[in-house]
Parts: sequence; C-alpha cells; structure tokens
Amino acid sequence: MSTDAELDGAVARGIDSVMDAGAQYCDVRYYGEDASEALLLHDGNLEENAAELESGLGVRVLHGGAWGFAATSRTEDAPRTFELALANARSAAALVAVPLDMGRQAPVIGSYRSPVAQDPLDVPLGEKLDFLRQIDARLQAPFVQHRTVSLQLQRMTSRFWNSEGSRIDRQLTNCFAELAVMGLDRDQLMQRRSKDLHTSGRGTRGWEMVLDPALWSGRAEPVVEELGQLLQAPVVEHRRRSVILLPGQAFLQVHETIGHPLELDRILGYELSYAGGSFVTLESFGRLRYGSQKLTVSAFGGIANSPGSFGYDDEGTPERDYLLIDRGLLVNCLSSRAMVHEANQRAGRPLFSASGGASRATAFYRAPIDRMTNVNVLPGTDGALADIVGATADGLLLDNPTSWSIGSNREHFHFGCEIAWEIRDGRVVGVRRNPTYQGHTLEFYRSLSAVGNATTWTVQQVPNCGKGEPNQIMEVGHGVPVLRFDGVLTGERS
Amino acid sequence: MVDTRTRDSVLQVRDEAARRGIRAFFTLHREKSHLLRLGNNSVSLNTSEDLTRLDVEVLDGRRQSTCTRLGDLSTPDPVRLALERAVAQAAVAMPREYEPIEPVVERDIAEQPQYDAELEALDPATKVKTYERIMAAVGRGYNYSGSWSSGATELLLAGTASPAVAWHLGTDQHLTCVLKHPEERWELAVEQTGWRAGQVGAAQAIERFRGLVPVYAQPGWQVPPGEYAVAFGPQAIAELLALAVWTGFTGRGYEEKLGWTAGRRLGERILSERLTLVDDPAQEQTFRFGFDGTGMVRRRFPLVEAGKLAGLAYDLATAARYGRSPTPHAGSWSLAMAPGDGPPEVAAAVRDRERVLCIPALHYMNVPQRAKGIFTGSSRFSAVLLEYGAPARPLFSTRITDTFAKVFGNIETLAPTTVSVNLSNTYGRRQPEAASVPAYMVCSGVCVTDCADSF
Repeated sequence: MSTDAELDGAVARGIDSVMDAGAQYCDVRYYGEDASEALLLHDGNLEENAAELESGLGVRVLHGGAWGFAATSRTEDAPRTFELALANARSAAALVAVPLDMGRQAPVIGSYRSPVAQDPLDVPLGEKLDFLRQIDARLQAPFVQHRTVSLQLQRMTSRFWNSEGSRIDRQLTNCFAELAVMGLDRDQLMQRRSKDLHTSGRGTRGWEMVLDPALWSGRAEPVVEELGQLLQAPVVEHRRRSVILLPGQAFLQVHETIGHPLELDRILGYELSYAGGSFVTLESFGRLRYGSQKLTVSAFGGIANSPGSFGYDDEGTPERDYLLIDRGLLVNCLSSRAMVHEANQRAGRPLFSASGGASRATAFYRAPIDRMTNVNVLPGTDGALADIVGATADGLLLDNPTSWSIGSNREHFHFGCEIAWEIRDGRVVGVRRNPTYQGHTLEFYRSLSAVGNATTWTVQQVPNCGKGEPNQIMEVGHGVPVLRFDGVLTGERS
Repeated sequence: MVDTRTRDSVLQVRDEAARRGIRAFFTLHREKSHLLRLGNNSVSLNTSEDLTRLDVEVLDGRRQSTCTRLGDLSTPDPVRLALERAVAQAAVAMPREYEPIEPVVERDIAEQPQYDAELEALDPATKVKTYERIMAAVGRGYNYSGSWSSGATELLLAGTASPAVAWHLGTDQHLTCVLKHPEERWELAVEQTGWRAGQVGAAQAIERFRGLVPVYAQPGWQVPPGEYAVAFGPQAIAELLALAVWTGFTGRGYEEKLGWTAGRRLGERILSERLTLVDDPAQEQTFRFGFDGTGMVRRRFPLVEAGKLAGLAYDLATAARYGRSPTPHAGSWSLAMAPGDGPPEVAAAVRDRERVLCIPALHYMNVPQRAKGIFTGSSRFSAVLLEYGAPARPLFSTRITDTFAKVFGNIETLAPTTVSVNLSNTYGRRQPEAASVPAYMVCSGVCVTDCADSF
C-alpha cells in the first residue's frame, strides 16, 4: 500500500469486516518502519555492523471472549490477515472458561514522538564508528585482555487503530550502549567490568544522549581502573551482612522482583506455562507489606527520557503515573484493559480503576501483553551514597549484574555482580571479586534500611526484557536510587 | 512455502552482485508459525504469523556488514535495497585486523528431512480439543495452562562465493501443559516435541498428571541447604547441557579464556566418563538441518567422548581471528547425549537410596561465574523427594548452585533410553532446536543453596 489513505481505507474495511462478523473488539498495528542498527567493536575489530528493517501488519480480534491474532510482512495480504485473526479468535472461543472483555474506553486520537535532538539513525555510520573507536582506545591497559564497545539504536514508526475509533501515530527512538573490559584475575579466571548508557530521566534521547560523557563514555577510564583493582582482589566471603546496591545493580533487582511479580497477567496465571507466576495474589493489594516504610515504587510511563516511555500503549491507553507500592504497602500493578476487567470480576469489586497502560508488543507480529513501563523506586531521605556508606557497619557495595536467576513465582532470587567494595565501620576498605547474593523477595524488601536521595537516582535502560509466548523482547526503564538492605546472604560456600 | 517470485528475486540479485564483484551472502528465512496459548483453562491467545526475512552479508576486503529486511521481498527491488545498504555499510566500516572468512554454500542441497504438510496446516481446533481432553481426563478442579507452537521453517542460502544453493524445509511443534492446584499452588508439567502431526497429544499428559497428583497431596518439603543426590529429568538435563555447551564449548570462549573449559586440552578428561555428547544433525530426536547458517555441511561433531573434551565450535569470525577452521554451528545445534545402562525407570535406579531429589526441570538458570562454570537455577514443575525410589513428598522451590564440571562429573546412573527435549525459543525468527538426552540422570553431591517455603 503506497499511501496513508490506502492504508487507512484497508484497515477500516478490515475492522468493519470483523466487527460485522460479531467480534467484540479489534485493533491493528502497522509498522511502516521498525529500523535498528547494531555496532560492536571487539578488541578494536568491528565484529557487528548490522542494520535491520521490519515492516508489516498485526491484527488482534476479540471474539466470543477469546483473542485471535495474525500478522503478515506482506501488506497486500491485509484482508486475509483480518480473516485469519477472526478465524483464530473463533477457534479459541471454543475453549473459554472466563471470557475476556476489554471494558470500555473512549476513542483516543493522538500521536507521540520520543524527544530527540539528533536522530541516531540519521547520524552517518562513519561518525558513529569514529566515536566508538575513540572510546575503545581509552579502554586499553596492560591488564585488559579484551574490550568491547557496542551500540544498539532503534527507531520504530507505527500506526494504531481500533474498533472504538482510536488512531494513534508513534515514533519511538532508543539508544543503548555498553562498554566493557575483561582481564584475568590471580586465579586465571576472567573478570569483567562494564558500563551501560543510563539517563537522568530528563532531556532528549537521541544521539546527543550517547555523546554525553556524564551518561556513559566518561566512565571509560574508571571502569578500566576498577578492573585492575578487581583482578587483585580477594573473593567475597560467604556470610550475612548489609548490601548497598548502586543503580547499576538495583535496577535489575527491582525489575526481577518488583516489576515482573506485579504484572497482572502473571498474577492472574496467564504466564504459568513459560515465564511463571507471582507470589502476589489479588488479595495482596492494599494488604501485603511488600517492603519497609522506605520503599515507594511507581509505574511512570511519562519519564521524558526512558525506553519505558511511549505515549500510548499498544491498545491505545495513554501512559500513566501511579504508585505500585506506597511506603511498603502493595497498592497497584502493571496492567492492560482485559486483565483489569478480569481481575475486577474475580475480586467481585473494582480492585483497579483503570488499565495501567502497560499493554505492549515488541513488533507488529506479536500480540501485546502486560509489560513494564518505567518501574521506579522513588528517591528517599537517607542522603547521598557517601552518607549511606558512612552509616553502614558491615556491608558490600555492589554494581552491575553478571547473573540473575529468580524463582518461578519471583519469591526468591540469586544475583551475581561484577564488583563489590567491602564496607567496615562506615568506610570502604577494598574491592572484592565474584560477588553474589541471594534472598527471599519479601524478607529482602522488608530489610530495606536506606534509600538514597535524588542525587543518587538515575534511569537505567533495559533493552532486553524477555517474556511471553511467542517470545517478546521489550525495552523498559527503571529510575532507581542507591538502596541498602540488611542481613543479606552474600557469596558462595567454598 | 517460498513463492517462486521471492526465490527468483534473491537469486537474481545474488547473480547481479556476483557480476559486480560484490562478495555477498543471502539468507532467506520464511516462517509460517502458529501458537495456541492456554491460561486459566481457556485459550488466551491463538496466533498465526506469516513472515519472510532476508539477511544480506557483505564482505569488502576486511570490512563486513549485514542488512536484514523483514517485509515484502517478492520483487528484486527490496532485495537490491538490502544489498545496497549492506554494501554502503561495509564501505564505511573499519577493516578488521584479521582476514575474514567468507561464508560459502558448500554444495547444492535441497532437503526436507522432517517436513509434514499436515502439521504445517494443523487446525487450531485440534489443539483446543487436545487440551480439553486433558482437562476432562485429569479433572476440571485444577488450573490448566500451556502452549502449543507449531509451524514450518524454510531456509534458502546463496552466496557469490559459489553457485550452489542450499534449501531446507521443515516442520516442528512443541506442546506444554501445566497443571496448578488453585489453592496449594503447586505445579505439574508435561512437555512434548516433534515434527509430525500426531507425535504429541493428550495421552502422555494425562498419564503423567494422574501419576503425580497423589504425591502432591503430601505437604511440601523445604530442602535444607547441603549436598544431595539428584535425579535430573530430561528437561533439566537438556537445559544444563545447552548452558554448559554455550559457556564451555565455543571457540570464542575457549580462545579468550571466558569459558569453563579454557585451559583444558582436547582429549583431556573434563567430565564423567559416562558422558558422551555430540552435535549430530542426523539424530532423529533433534530438528535436523543438513547445513548451517554459513552454508557449511553439518556432520556428526563430537564435543565430549567418555568425559574427554573432544571438540569446540568455531564461528567464522573466531576461526579467522585465531587461525582455526570454522565448524558448522551457526544456527540450531543437534545436541545428543548418549544414554547409559541404568534401569529403564528412575525409581529402580535409586531404590537403594534413602533420599534423592527428583528434579525434572530447572527454572531460570544463569551463570554467575562463566570461567568457573558455576550455574544456578531452581526446581519448578513436578519436583519430588524420592525415598528408596518411591515418590514421598513434593519439593518446594529449591535452588541448585553448582558447577557443570561437578554435576556432569558425578554422574552415577544414566537412563538406557533417550528423550527429545525442545530447546527452541521464538524471540526472533522461528529456529527449531531440540536435544536428545537420557530420560534421567542421577548425580551425587549436588549443591542445594536455598529453598523457598512455597512451591
């Protein structure tokens, strides 16, 4: 289809056809351009120099309380794609115990563009490579065995329509970047230290963000220096103590043990066959003490500069700002329209007032599911990092995940980190290697004893959150401060 | 599946590139995928995707680039655009320090070793009826979920380095069903895989669930940290093997001392002599591909022979950089672990032991220290305590943190038969992968490091 008008017409006819056939609801997403670039320098060699462009159409039909979905990369096949989505919904409706319902939502006409000063895909490739090469040169040191510098740039242009009359245009832009160095420790085992591009949550998120040394490349030399210290460091001992998570580690702790367990489709049991369930139940809301009084967590799609900000979700709901956990008490979840409707039906009362605007799909060929937006821990009142370290008698300061493994209901976890600094009597006494820690989610968050102030709060970008069947990768963000937890089991048994 | 126009477009642009002296490699991937998902005793999603992708790789001296296009490729123009984009990227790229190895389609291949038109066109109603049958037979008082993925994958490889064309067409399917107790919250699961219609169905799930439900009437056991004999089920074995191979048997990990086999020599004993592991593209219990993603013909490739390190997989870039020969491992592997001489049933294998943890599957595994081969993951579906071989109590969610070398070094008994375990994911394109593994593996001294007080 060569023009907007032809596309709009074809989609309108398709929606009419499935609604005339008795569908309850239909939405359509057309991705005119889902473009990305990936660049990777490995020890100075450009090992990845890849561009990708996807386009196509996805149609979702609710009929008889069941979803049918179909997608095609050939837009000429649009009429057949509507027919197939409807047929899929009809065959699904043969096995429905609890009919799905989208509830009602007024039509939304809107548009959203990620704030960008310089489009990263418009920057000449040579300029990007020169920039990466300059960073790579700063990572060289006698003890550095391997270096990587990488960029992942995305620009997705899409249009959404639904049977309620909504029509939304979006252009989402993401820039992800990582630098890393590796070296052999005194046991001849490879250690790694790295830095991902983060944001302040403010400003624009184009190529200019990648160039900002405060957000990424300014950490090149410190990362090399820390690797040098790591290679000579003793191993973390196996015992209980406080752990202070820097934002580079705290984001993943929050992602895995607050974000995922609060996805409403998991809570309702729709992810059991793959990703797992949640220890949270519908009865938990308003009752469960998730963490200490210091823990307040929001879902805020509207952070200006984050991959978890997208204007409208993939069923047309505008992004929202609301609390998930209020001073330790669980109050809300990440949700979509049908899941909210079902939860309220099951609870027999209006447990949730509206969709959380968290229904997202990774591509035109995947149906939206409940995802994270920006799941953030709000800054606290325990001062800057130095204040929290100074008030810690026995602890580890931890940064950057190397490994994460979580129980199927998110009730327990095990994390490995790149680096630890041991703290005794309020002072950092040295670097430790091979740090790990494990715990049980509720016990852990209830031990939260210090939350850093706004000076410690940054937005960490996640380019690769996996969930769903068929599998979907999603980009999300986490605004997190420095967090301290007490009595945590660290290290491995010798 | 690929229409003649699309195939001809790719080959026409390949020939044009060759005439212009461009070194290019084309991979056309077509998938027709269907997935039916069950949640809360209902079909929660019924989805079909018909997608065509093209990867174009260009080598310009020591410069390299790729361009991938997912969209309408039925005319030469979008194929040319992808080629031109890759050519332009390569022209700007900085040259590598080493001479890259160009992918070459070794010889003409046209294969469909595991293709079933009936499975490709499987009616979703068949899937609905299968889940209905399971629920009716086992009892409707439980919460059922699961997924059944099926589809066809077609690959066409052609490059300018040779006139040969490699073509593959295959079908695959993967059925899972999870039974959860609505109040007690324990979960049982079955998983089946295959490439033909009729290979998977309700009977196995019904038998498995009926056998385990009574065990789960007993209270759960919170396993204290310590070392245990563990009987791993096929899913756990396959997932452990896949992770062990990824972290220990790639040339890149070996050469750069990232992996847990670094520093060990070929022929050196690294695991139990009971363990023999090959990548075997002829193994019927895996998804068979006669060539890899770089056009190399796949052959039986030993990785571990009676516990000794026998082979490492080298991609083109690693082989070029370190002066090795590349191996045909771009794309799906066909891991096949040899069976043993234990009794057919795990119960008989451990009937003399007071306590054995039976862990059929491991959830969310990861590798805290790749260079030491430390992995961690937790038990999930259908895990039980065996007392003198008899199921005694279900296990709460139990975390194992140990090393590949120790777990695969302390194999006591292996089942005499093998099972096919699906290892596919669908994050990007459809890429069927399955492993053939013993039906059980009993290992001693496995470290349990944590256990929840719930399932």
